[in-house]
This record gives sequence, C-alpha cells and structure tokens, in this order.
Amino acid sequence: MKNWLICIDDTDDIGTKGTGEIAEEIAHLLAQNSGGKASFVTRHQLFVHPDIPYTSHNSAMCFALQSPLSQAEIHRLAVAHLVAESAPKADPGIAILDVDSDYDVNALIDFGLRAKREVITKAAAYQFAEQLQIQLTEHGGTGLGVIGALAGLGLRLTGNDGRVKGQIKLGQLEEVSLELTVADILEQTGLDAVMSTDKTPLAADERVLLKGKVKAVYLEHQFVLLVSRDGGQWRNAGKQVLQSY
Amino acid sequence: MNQELLRQFEYESERWIFRAGLQQYPEARRTAQLCSRFVPDDEDEQIDDEVRSCYNCQYRRWVVTSFECVMFKSALLLVY
Repeated sequence: MKNWLICIDDTDDIGTKGTGEIAEEIAHLLAQNSGGKASFVTRHQLFVHPDIPYTSHNSAMCFALQSPLSQAEIHRLAVAHLVAESAPKADPGIAILDVDSDYDVNALIDFGLRAKREVITKAAAYQFAEQLQIQLTEHGGTGLGVIGALAGLGLRLTGNDGRVKGQIKLGQLEEVSLELTVADILEQTGLDAVMSTDKTPLAADERVLLKGKVKAVYLEHQFVLLVSRDGGQWRNAGKQVLQSY
Repeated sequence: MNQELLRQFEYESERWIFRAGLQQYPEARRTAQLCSRFVPDDEDEQIDDEVRSCYNCQYRRWVVTSFECVMFKSALLLVY
C-alpha cells in the first residue's frame, strides 16, 4: 500500500453539491475500489480577496489515502467523479501527492501558507507543482481550482490546519446533551484525541458533555475534538471557536 | 425591501457590506431574522452555532473586515 494525499477545490456553485461532499465521495470510491483506506476529509481556508473568485467561501478539501492503486488509476477514478459531480459553472482542480516520494515538504507547506495570505496565480501553481513533481490537473471552467488544490496539500501537511468535514453524531441533539468519556468518544468516532482549546489532551476517563453540532479539527497531525471548560464541565467547542481552523 | 434590513449594510464600491463587520454574532443573527432570502450555506462553511445568521448564509461573501451580501445586491437591482 502506498500513501497519497489528494486535494480538490472549486467544484461547486450556489445550491450545488459542496466540494467537501465530492471529496468524501472520491475518498470512499478510491478506498472501496482498492481495498484501501481513506482518512477524514479536512477543509482548509484560503485567502479571501476581491481578486480571487469563489462561491460562498474559498476553501479546499483534502484527504489521505492508503491504497495499492497506481497514481494513474487514482487520477482516472478521482477525475471521473470530479467531472461528473462538479457544478457546470465550477473551475475544478485536483492535486495528488505521493507522500512516500522525495518531495520538498517544507516548500509545499510554505506554498499552502502563502495561499492563506496572498493571491497566487494559476501559472505559479503549475510551475510549483512541476518543480515538486506533484500531479496537478484542471477539469473545466477557468481551472483556477488547481491553486487551492495544491495549497490544500501544503496546509494539510502542516498538521495544524483545517476543520474535519461533517458533524460528529453520537446521539446528542440541539437541546439534549449527551455525556461520554473521552475513551467512548474516540472509540465511537475514530478521532485521535480530545483536547482543550489550549491543546492539552484530555485523559481517557475524563467526561465530556456533547450538545448540538459537534465538529472536529486537524491539530498536531491528529483528528481532534476540541472542548472547553464551562462551569466545571468539559463541553464541545462551538463553531465560533472552530472558526480559526 | 425592509428598511431596517437595509440599514445593516453600507454600499461601498458597488457592494453591500455588512456594517457590523466580523464576529458580531448577535447582529448577524438579528439581521438574518429580518431577511426573507436567507439560505443556509453548506454546513462545513457555517461559522455561527445559530443557523439563522448572516454569517451562515450562502449569499455572503467574505471580505477582509466583513462580508458582502450578494443576494441583497441582486434583490435591490430588481427593485430599482
């Protein structure tokens, strides 16, 4: 099995299927087709600037894949789904990284961080991908999604960027709390850790009160449920806290 | 167009910008209550725990210090 990192961007339009959902579908498709394993999908916020066109946000979606498939097979399957599911007005791009290859990880991380604070051109993204030998392709429209797709790889590699796509549903409701131990949460969700907002891991026997929408983040190279202390009780952090991820 | 809703935005360079800016959750929620065109964005793009909030609307476009309402712009173009 080889290790891959795959990132897509700019696949949606108002009212169409989101980029995160398409990424999740591609992850499942690739895992199922090869007996491989796909990670959670993470969402990475990119630069918001008048010169950058985007739908309602500007974010890329990334996942890791362990698979025996060749890069050509991964690309073929992923692109077929990307093209089929992207909005007609979208500008989709996809980047595929062979994680086991000898690439310059620091340069890729730097590219990702730059894309959070400055406008990067499509030409610059292609040039950089070629330099690092990362497969980067566009599939419709202006193809500007290649910039975010490449940047998303770098941001995921930082190990400290992004929210995990989707919600964690363990039976808690909007108005009804559910109390679980950290051990239970990790076992039932597949997450790696429960941490306080100052990044301190909670012990397995600590109890956490879950309520409403529960979301995880990518922190210290782990999928983490963030919690905050409220009245002597650990509670899942709200969206406002997660906004910076 | 609801005048109270209109007052929450400032017209700048052909864009309707939310006056309250970023991280002003009560104002964003109150403004969304005034708006009949609110549509929640994809859940992964929502940032306010209260769903009905301009910060969660698929018609908001983030700018550096606030957001632009693009539905507001098209609605006003239709009216005037």
